[in-house]
Amino acid sequence: MAVKVVMPKLGMAMKQGEVSIWNKKVGDPVEKGESIASIQSEKIEMEIEAPEKGTLIDIKVKEGEEVPPGTAICYIGDANESVQEEAGAPVAEDNMPQAVQPVKQENKPAASKKDRMKISPVARKIAEKAGLDLKQLKGTGPGGRIVKDDVTKALAEQKKDQAKPVSEQKAQEIPVTGMRKVIAARMQESLANSAQLTITMKADITKLATLQKQLSPTAEERYGTKLTITHFVSRAAVLALQAHPVLNSFYQNERIITHPHVHLGMAVALENGLVVPVIRHAEKLSLIELAQSISENAKKAREGRAGSEELQGSTFSITNLGAFGVEHFTPILNPPETGILGIGASYDTPVYQGEEIVRSTILPLSLTFDHRACDGAPAAAFLKAMKTYLEEPAALIL
Amino acid sequence: MTLAIIGGGPAGYAAAVSAAQQGRNVLLIDKGKLGGTCLNEGCIPTKSLLESANVLDKIKHADSFGIELPAGAISVDWSKMQSRKQQVVSQLVQGVQYLMKKNQIQVVKGTASFLSERKLLIEGENGKEIREADQVLIASGSEPIELPFAPFDGEWILDSKDALSLSEIPSSLVIVGGGVIGCEYAGLFARLGSQVTIIETADRLIPAEDEDIARLFQEKLEEDGVEVHTSSRLGRVDQTAKTAIWKSGQREFKTKADYVLVAIGRKPRLDGLQLEQAGVDFSPKGIPVNGHMQTNVPHIYACGDAIGGIQLAHAAFHEGIIAASHASGRDVKINEKHVPRCIYTSPEIACIGMTERQARSIYGDVKIGEFSFSANGKALIKQQAEGKVKIMAEPEFGEIVGVSMIGPDVTELIGQAAAIMNGEMTADMAEHFIAAHPTLSETLHEALLSTIGLAVHA
Repeated sequence: MAVKVVMPKLGMAMKQGEVSIWNKKVGDPVEKGESIASIQSEKIEMEIEAPEKGTLIDIKVKEGEEVPPGTAICYIGDANESVQEEAGAPVAEDNMPQAVQPVKQENKPAASKKDRMKISPVARKIAEKAGLDLKQLKGTGPGGRIVKDDVTKALAEQKKDQAKPVSEQKAQEIPVTGMRKVIAARMQESLANSAQLTITMKADITKLATLQKQLSPTAEERYGTKLTITHFVSRAAVLALQAHPVLNSFYQNERIITHPHVHLGMAVALENGLVVPVIRHAEKLSLIELAQSISENAKKAREGRAGSEELQGSTFSITNLGAFGVEHFTPILNPPETGILGIGASYDTPVYQGEEIVRSTILPLSLTFDHRACDGAPAAAFLKAMKTYLEEPAALIL
Repeated sequence: MTLAIIGGGPAGYAAAVSAAQQGRNVLLIDKGKLGGTCLNEGCIPTKSLLESANVLDKIKHADSFGIELPAGAISVDWSKMQSRKQQVVSQLVQGVQYLMKKNQIQVVKGTASFLSERKLLIEGENGKEIREADQVLIASGSEPIELPFAPFDGEWILDSKDALSLSEIPSSLVIVGGGVIGCEYAGLFARLGSQVTIIETADRLIPAEDEDIARLFQEKLEEDGVEVHTSSRLGRVDQTAKTAIWKSGQREFKTKADYVLVAIGRKPRLDGLQLEQAGVDFSPKGIPVNGHMQTNVPHIYACGDAIGGIQLAHAAFHEGIIAASHASGRDVKINEKHVPRCIYTSPEIACIGMTERQARSIYGDVKIGEFSFSANGKALIKQQAEGKVKIMAEPEFGEIVGVSMIGPDVTELIGQAAAIMNGEMTADMAEHFIAAHPTLSETLHEALLSTIGLAVHA
């Protein structure tokens, strides 16, 4: 009996999941626990593992197609077995709320003759490896069959096109799917549905920089984690948020919900998007524990191992463009949060201290807040608190 | 719109039929018999005689199949072999004549030469005439290359045509050149009882194909009694003593023989065409053409052996049809990526695409799949279990880039390889393919499987 593999439900709110890549094709043998596909939903990308050893006997969801959780995406069984399709809608998983019952999927008939593509096996393999869109290819073989020459010519064209000055290049169309789609929707929703604005401040972190240099090697030796300026800033944010809970809040249903705890979202850039892993109860963590969590979460996120729970529920977010040399910027709120802090690139500059000019290290901070939840003065007070923590850093260590 | 075609060989007559089918008014000029070298002096007559040798071989081994023949029961009648050959040739020539008639192609016997771009002078038995044509296709073919110090005399120094119609089976024969033609003739006459000596300048026979194939073949040829001297060169000939004097390294050897067959290649037959008068570019290597078979003068086409290159009848058919179609307004181009190369020796050799050496030089670590006929049921039944099938697959995508075979009936098997390669199939597809059993085709299937490590009987 073939085993059905379904689109998993990653988080309560998940309505659709996309199969981004099939790592196996029909007919391939699979080992139990072997990765058979990558799926994407919201901001999560996840590998699907084979539940049983066997042969991948049928693929129901094509690459790039979105289906509700619980929908069968493929079947694993004996090589010569055929799939017994279940009648009706795919069965929802037990823990799936009724509201998100998956829509019944149409059983599409096998591709009709018209849809069938005339292409030689060699041409198909080369095109697929190079990621060429087969539909864009024109076949010059018998009866319009796409042959190897057509593919190699198209690849050469593509290369030539890329080598051309930008003005002569053809515009590229990239369909917005998966993570990009989620980011696009979230960011637009954020800007459309809130009254956000950004204020900036500069903190003199000369002392902090010295402290960080002193502590980091010891921290690494003792706890296995380097201490970075970001870690100190995060700690400062946690402390400042506790003193100014209006920025540690959600603006939801015409209510402002302030949180007693700080779940800190730390934005992590990925190759094809970004995720915001969440450090729960950051207020309970010491500086070193916070640093460890931040490092561990970022690593997991980059490796695509972050689970859906770890990417949800933040009460305040921090984003850092300092590594790219950006100083001040306007971060976009991660709704329903009402505050997000942007860390810029620190720089050394002469600063007056009394009549004396000294070399100081300056860290640019940008705070975006939702004016519906909080006015300028309390937001500035929060930033001021941050500045104070950063300029007198001894308190951060405690 | 008249299309004049010079030469009625495979390139010329195929072009004539194709053009006529496309509604053209076609004039075909040939100085000899229709069918050209292939039909009259090449492919067909040689293979016909070779078939006689094959039958003889079979009969000689009749006892191993359980058939007893009384002593002295076998005798070879060369003149009957000749007349059988002639019958086959005549029937095929008549076939071509019928095709000309059926397609209303005007055939003129004579020698053609250009007077200008569109004017041809035809000199025939009934005198001279001048014909005009809107387009001209040159398919004048090729002729054997002579050795300057030993020109063909038709008496003792022979070309391949002369050797086909000897009055008797020679008791001894020196063959200069161990390429395709030399090897086919060596096998023929050796199996009919001649003492054959091959003198080849390269370090092995059939230098164009892979070494493993050539070596296997040479062993077999030597078993048949042929003396093979590679890395050797004919120095001179002594006509009166009927002796060929040849060198291997610094040493000189003498071989006395009834005949010397010079088979060192063929050259385009362009003399007398007066190509200059039409402004057509050419060199001793042939007439350069583009992918539509057009010469530098766009309304003058050339194809077949006249353009040099592949020099195979089946390539000529293809070229002729492309030339005729393009001349008739169709935008077609030549595709000679997959031209089978057959050698009718015993055992036969058939190759297509790249040799292993070529494939390695282009793709580096190619996947090689081999299967031996000694593990094939049908080959054992036929008692022809010598040889192998070798397949070269490109390493990344598994494209079959070359097939080389030596063994029973491989000149027929190569058709399957041609279909596979022309269809751009990949090695892994062999898994989903069933070869009939017991057949020689199974070797091809097993060799394909072996490129992906899945051969069953190896």
